[in-house]
Amino acid sequence: MNARTFRGGIHPPENKEWTKDIPIERIPTPASVVIPLTQAIGAQNQPLVKVGDHVLKGQLIGDVQACPAASVHASVTGKVKKIEPVLQSTLREAPAVFIEADGTDETAYMEPMDVFSHAPAEGIQRLRDAGVVGMGGASFPTDVKLAPPPDKPIETIIANGSECEPYLTIDYRTMLESPADVVEGLAIAAYLVGAKRAVVAIEENKADALPVIEHEFAAHGHGVAMEAMLVATKYPEGGEKMLIQVVTGREIPSKGLPFDVGAICQNIGTLKAIKEACVDGKPLIERGFTAAGGACLTPKNLLAPIGTLVSDLVPNVIQLKDDVRKVIFGGPMMGVAVPSMQIPIVKGTSGVLFFTTAETRLYAERHCIRCGRCADACPARLMPMLMNASLDVDDLDHADAIGLMDCFECGACSYNCPARIPLTQHFKVGKDLLRNKRAKEARDGK
Amino acid sequence: MENKSPRLVLSPAPHFVTSMDIQKTMGMVVIALLPALAGGVVFFGAHVLLVTLVSVLSAVLAEYLFRKALHREPHVQDLSAVVTGLLLALVLPPSSPLWMAAVGSAFSIIVAKELFGGLGGNFANPALVGRAVLLMSWPAYMTRWSPSLRSAVDATTSATPLGILKMGGTVADVMKSVGASSRAQLYWQMFLGNHGGSIGETSALLLLIGAAFLVATRTIDLRAPVGMIITTFVVSWLFGQDPVLAVLAGGVLLGAFFMATDYVTTPVTPMGKWVFGIGAGLMTVLIRRLGNFPEGVTYGILFMNVISPYLDKLIPRKYGYVKPVKKVTA
Repeated sequence: MNARTFRGGIHPPENKEWTKDIPIERIPTPASVVIPLTQAIGAQNQPLVKVGDHVLKGQLIGDVQACPAASVHASVTGKVKKIEPVLQSTLREAPAVFIEADGTDETAYMEPMDVFSHAPAEGIQRLRDAGVVGMGGASFPTDVKLAPPPDKPIETIIANGSECEPYLTIDYRTMLESPADVVEGLAIAAYLVGAKRAVVAIEENKADALPVIEHEFAAHGHGVAMEAMLVATKYPEGGEKMLIQVVTGREIPSKGLPFDVGAICQNIGTLKAIKEACVDGKPLIERGFTAAGGACLTPKNLLAPIGTLVSDLVPNVIQLKDDVRKVIFGGPMMGVAVPSMQIPIVKGTSGVLFFTTAETRLYAERHCIRCGRCADACPARLMPMLMNASLDVDDLDHADAIGLMDCFECGACSYNCPARIPLTQHFKVGKDLLRNKRAKEARDGK
Repeated sequence: MENKSPRLVLSPAPHFVTSMDIQKTMGMVVIALLPALAGGVVFFGAHVLLVTLVSVLSAVLAEYLFRKALHREPHVQDLSAVVTGLLLALVLPPSSPLWMAAVGSAFSIIVAKELFGGLGGNFANPALVGRAVLLMSWPAYMTRWSPSLRSAVDATTSATPLGILKMGGTVADVMKSVGASSRAQLYWQMFLGNHGGSIGETSALLLLIGAAFLVATRTIDLRAPVGMIITTFVVSWLFGQDPVLAVLAGGVLLGAFFMATDYVTTPVTPMGKWVFGIGAGLMTVLIRRLGNFPEGVTYGILFMNVISPYLDKLIPRKYGYVKPVKKVTA
């Protein structure tokens, strides 16, 4: 059977062999954690604790009455030392709660809940209370994502087991080690949105996870029609737009959302979090991520409390070479390079990569030679070289006309560019400029 | 306690990149042209090697000196000047004087390329601009054709098959010129390259080998060449000419595979590439048939180079621009 796929995309080195066979390791509770108050797309949370408060693992510490927003919970039991702005993996400073662990393991979880005997709205509220967000990187509140407008029925819910970012294997390991949790989470999600069909999409290079997942359908599928589907190993196969097209054959309309085509995608880690929030009453206070890269002497998958500083992992959990030149939160294609290691793991952290000087190559940008490799790579079927040429001459309107706002910044064009033009970065900047321009035009009543 | 490393580098995603770069891309084209060059040496003798060498050196030197004089970063290592010099040599007559190759090549680089900003900024194919200028400046040298050394026919000068047809000759005359006794033999000789013509244009076989290499390495896109070849075939046939001969003779294959695929001066959109190829084929036949020159590939492609920016407006359907499917209400 030929694995299904989309047009375009690239085949970067997978670099998954370092961590794919190593079981997820739960790190010892760190002495302290730094929990950013807001970790999701949406409104800014307010702190619900004061300096000096004793907090329990699982206790709500940050929330806001707004939608979309996602609450935040203490990930260790201990004392609130301070609440101060810290630099986060978004490269912005924002308030965070510093908690010093007291070594006890008292928890303040919610009551377990059998979602299937409740109305879907109650299950949605549970996800809101548990602070569940998309854990693939976007960090969109899951309760909002699973509650589409009533006029947008959901037919298909997709578990995104593609994990197309190089280096990262945490989703793969989660599928292998906790297949029942993933399938249970998928069944709950399907129930909450009323989807009749649930599909677990897995890239071919992780095909051995497919029978493991399938094996749990009967016991944990709760009667939802489930199937596991192999998709081609290609970047960005796991992009929401790509995966929905591959699974349902339908394209999300420009400026539309997945529910416009009756589909919803969920990250593997998120599904596990959904299951834990409901079945175990456990808020999203820890997550798995891949630690790897050429400068990481001990590449592995870790399960760490939210708020663990990367610097606190060294040297007891992971060892690094002296030559660490770049630290990336996320994968190499869409991840963010950070300026220090005193940055906390958050709900959206799927990996932390450590690159050596040799891996941190900086290139001189050349003139575009119009070779077309960016267009070959573009999964949105855009013409990056033409968009870039328009932006070069500040013609935002033409860039818009040929699809600038349809770029979802996957990085495939930049990866493929022989002239080393940072196309994706140009488009990010261009999109900002265009939004400002449109906002100004709206103000000026044009 | 932990962050011992001096400074962490911040740069935008993605954080790694393909190993393919401009130098490798151009290197592929150079490799793909070598069979045709070797054919030129076999058919026309060692002089063509000198012509090629001078042309390439002149191109490289011109680029180096020009960029140095303007205090620009040297780009010689990207091999694009080598490609230009090589391509120009392959479209020159085998008996070209060395100085003429040097002048043409320097003109190609400085006027057609560097004055427009260097690689990526030029609007027309530098090698073809060079050839066009030489053709206007020294028409006698540019139309003096030596016969193939391997030819069964004994002669000191010869006309190209297209030249024979232009002078009112028939296909039988062309057959005679290559010593073929049947059409099949004629096609075979033409396919091998055993006839008069420019240094690198005569052998379809060797050009196809090079083109196959470029296709296999995904260096070129086949839309423009296929469009150009098919159009040349069909339109020549409509004009009542031998369509196979029209494709095998002259510079159609060299132009189609190595010039209508030039990244910088041809459209980037799939539909644009088709239109480019079809237009270049059409112009080629029209010039051959109605113009003063026996061959029209150079001006056909140059003409299409000029309208390429307009062809780039033919962008494909983007993701998410499909008409919404009617929902079946349950």
